[in-house]
Amino acid sequence: MKGNGKTENKKGKTGAGYGKGKWREIIENGKSRTFLLITIPIVALFFLFNTLPLIQGVVYSFTNFRGYGSYDWVGLRNYIDLFRDARVGNSYLFTFKLAVVTTIIVNVLSLLLAMALNSRIKFKNTLRGLYFLPNVLGGLVVGYIFNYFFTYILPELAKLLGFEGNSMLANSKTAWLAIAVVCAWQSIAMNTIIYISGLQTVPEDVYEAGSLDGATGWFKFRHLTFPLIFPFFTINLVLCMKNFLMVFDQIMSLTKGGPAQSTESISYLIYNNGMSGGQFGFQSANAVLFFVVIVVISVTQMTFLGKKEEQL
Amino acid sequence: MLRNNKKFLFGTTLFLAGLSATGCGKGADNGKTVIELLHYKPEAVTYFEEVEKKFNETHDTIELKISSPNDAMTVLKTRLIREDNPDIIGIGGEYNYSNFIDAGILMDVSDFDGLSNIRQNYLDINENLEFVPTDGIYGVPYMANAAGILYNRDMFLEYGWQIPRTWEELLALCEEIEAAGKLPFYMGYKDTWTCLSPWNSAASSLAEPTVCGDVNRGLTTFTDQYRVVAEQMKTLLQYGPKDFAAYSYNDACTAFARGESAMFMIGSYAVPQIKSVNPDINIDSFVYPASSEESGNYLTSGIDLQFCIMEDCPNKEAAYEVLRFLLEDENVQAYMDNQNAIPCKEGNFKLASMLDGMKEYIEEGRVADFQDHFYPAEMAADALIQTYLLDGDTDKFLKRFDTEWVRYNRDRIEKVQKYETEHGEGEGK
Amino acid sequence: MRDKKEKSNIGLTVILIFGLITIAFPLYMAVVIAFKQPSEMTNNIRGILSLPARWSLDNFKEAMRVTDFWNSLVNSLFITLATIALSIVVHSLIGYVLGRSKAKSKFYNVLYLYLVSGMFVPFAILMMPLVKQTARMGLSNMFGVILLYTVFYLPMNTMLYSGYLKNLPLALEEAACVDGASTWRTFWTIIFPNMRPMHATVAILTALGTWNDVMTPLVIMSGDKNTLPLAQLNFQSQFGTNYNLAFASYLLALLPIVAFYIICQKQIIAGVANGAVK
Repeated sequence: MKGNGKTENKKGKTGAGYGKGKWREIIENGKSRTFLLITIPIVALFFLFNTLPLIQGVVYSFTNFRGYGSYDWVGLRNYIDLFRDARVGNSYLFTFKLAVVTTIIVNVLSLLLAMALNSRIKFKNTLRGLYFLPNVLGGLVVGYIFNYFFTYILPELAKLLGFEGNSMLANSKTAWLAIAVVCAWQSIAMNTIIYISGLQTVPEDVYEAGSLDGATGWFKFRHLTFPLIFPFFTINLVLCMKNFLMVFDQIMSLTKGGPAQSTESISYLIYNNGMSGGQFGFQSANAVLFFVVIVVISVTQMTFLGKKEEQL
Repeated sequence: MLRNNKKFLFGTTLFLAGLSATGCGKGADNGKTVIELLHYKPEAVTYFEEVEKKFNETHDTIELKISSPNDAMTVLKTRLIREDNPDIIGIGGEYNYSNFIDAGILMDVSDFDGLSNIRQNYLDINENLEFVPTDGIYGVPYMANAAGILYNRDMFLEYGWQIPRTWEELLALCEEIEAAGKLPFYMGYKDTWTCLSPWNSAASSLAEPTVCGDVNRGLTTFTDQYRVVAEQMKTLLQYGPKDFAAYSYNDACTAFARGESAMFMIGSYAVPQIKSVNPDINIDSFVYPASSEESGNYLTSGIDLQFCIMEDCPNKEAAYEVLRFLLEDENVQAYMDNQNAIPCKEGNFKLASMLDGMKEYIEEGRVADFQDHFYPAEMAADALIQTYLLDGDTDKFLKRFDTEWVRYNRDRIEKVQKYETEHGEGEGK
Repeated sequence: MRDKKEKSNIGLTVILIFGLITIAFPLYMAVVIAFKQPSEMTNNIRGILSLPARWSLDNFKEAMRVTDFWNSLVNSLFITLATIALSIVVHSLIGYVLGRSKAKSKFYNVLYLYLVSGMFVPFAILMMPLVKQTARMGLSNMFGVILLYTVFYLPMNTMLYSGYLKNLPLALEEAACVDGASTWRTFWTIIFPNMRPMHATVAILTALGTWNDVMTPLVIMSGDKNTLPLAQLNFQSQFGTNYNLAFASYLLALLPIVAFYIICQKQIIAGVANGAVK
């Protein structure tokens, strides 16, 4: 991983074998001592506020704890219930549908936008700045604003165009799309910036060489640009997927899981039934499952895309 | 312990950030007993601020601190989790209350002298909310609410419409209103909880008041009890806005306030919101006429606010003193004026004018509790109802209600049945 | 360098400017609603899009009162700034240690993977136990929130910092070592200043994450103090929302971060890009 041949050679903690002078060994030891002194408290902190509560969460997942008062051990009941509970099943389906579709929308649009913003245009910096704006706004507040838009403005616009003009948020077939739009609206900005920085790593002479071969348009993109920015594609895909799988703010502010329970995301269900409702034990089990799912998906994505990356 | 910590950290905050913050970390340095009351009615914050001030002015040994947080239930639950309990909590008479009793975190207040002035039917409602019968009393009912149908009095007068007394009359009225080119109802069913308002109203008259407990005992099913309720809900949809699930509670309030509909099936708590849009609107209410016989109708009324003392409250007497103060006639009346509420205390109080149409029911005690006070929040009965209204399949819905009920009440049903077997076939409750 | 550069693609520029409508429109709506009075609110489109009858700051004044704006703002600022400061110090240290050691030591490599995998832990599972734990430790306050943020952002930032180390040649610190400086000093005098571009990135990403977050302060501080986004919940009380006040308040909540963004726009975009390139 490191390009430093010098360090690569010094394996192991027993630096006694090196004949390069005693001072070096002392420094090395002093260094490893300092390193340990830095590492221990920070890792301890991480353990205390991340791993320990995670373990506790796992423990609660074997109980019928309400969050307060007395509780009993229920063994694997919560986990068995997870696979029988239609509501949990639906929340996974919904969340995946949303995450996959939104990831695609976001990546297509932000790649296009990035290429546009990276080409020779006027007001380049201003435009980039403005397009990035949605990303700095809070998800909840943006959700509230869009809620208004979907309830009143969009139906009226649809009526002007001769459609029936029902609110997207009131129909269980379309509500998820409205959520996808809001998620995309906010996250396109970040992904665009990442793609732009990817495009800037593409050296000009690649294009020039390509133009000599007569490469244009889609072909140029497919065979020259895209392979070069593939690592950025990987980052965007993994980040998008992870973020959208954890979608919460937008659900909270747009639909609160409705209509007809069609937009209950996994995080929403865990929060709503675990914290506000009395299902803490059960939802802990759900959270454990969710954690496993996210890790599996991210790791799969990374290995798969990593392999692709090598091929290209 | 926790309070001290808070204080310490408060001090550090000041020191570190140079903040000039207020309102936290006040200790009992002055030798006063501090009683903290946390309630879930942020909309009544002005009333509680007033009461807090008055109480502290008149009491030398007790200091009352009232918290009115937003999203109070989450705040309360996180405080329970962190074992940082307030002394008194102000909550509704609903499922959380049942859960709190079951978890053993509320104090038995049977010896509180103020209970003698509380109307018996509200004490009974509380009794009903216990999963399994107990000997104690765990809440002091303070205010009740009533749900029915709000109507635009001026519009009714203008067109000469009459208050319906039976289900058939209601339907006829709706036809009449439509014929006059007006919309009978506005609905805010995007916020699923608003579905529960007509649902509760209909169920008060059409289903047994003990239906949930009976289901737990295996005596009946919701499919039997709720069919007519569900059908009425569906029937009324045609008299609402076309896209009934598009609008939130607020939107519905706005629309009703602007005279876009003649009626609105919601509780009296909506009145302040409606008046904020149109201060001049003249609102009255009537009881949802679910039955075909006038005598078969009940007003839906439950405990909207009651005070419970936490089991670990160290100063029971001081807490009682706070409750006594809150129950003084003057303060009860002030709350009623502020929130259009109905007192749970006996006495000569002046009801808000928008409750005129319900007055006789209240005085006769012809009331039944909100059914949803028995539903666990995580079951999301409101969302089930909304789902049903969107797809319209009554059989499917009722069946689902029964299965979901069992799913979400498993531990409770187990407990009830265990109790039943241990205590023999105790008839009735 | 290239003479072609002079020619701008006007067509594309125009398209991009039109595209801005998608960004401007929702914000325009929010502004209009924020200035109106409740009695001006209608449920039809013309009424919604029309300009307010008069431009008065009353809603904003009232919103500031309801949200206790200045105190909330100070709390938000305090939390965000402290988190940034702590993150930069702690995460650059651990990023440095792990970045320099993980290739040669299995122990550090495992630690690195352990920390980075924390990125995938959903907050939902940690929430309840954390509430309990922070309470026991007397951390149900802003300090607890700051500490938690520092831990939440640790995986991401550690990855960023240790990745960035690739850009800093080992020779830099070795030279300092030869001069007899301790590792600790070398870090502060040589490494830390040289990681400046990454500090900017970390600061920005952390700021965006903490400033807008509602959940952590909501459950950890529980009504003790408000942050600016938390104060917006004031307008979501079940039995009544005053949209005008709410939107005025939303705008007030957005204002500081937008102002910050306008001022540091270049650095923010560069910083985010930097994070992606690592």
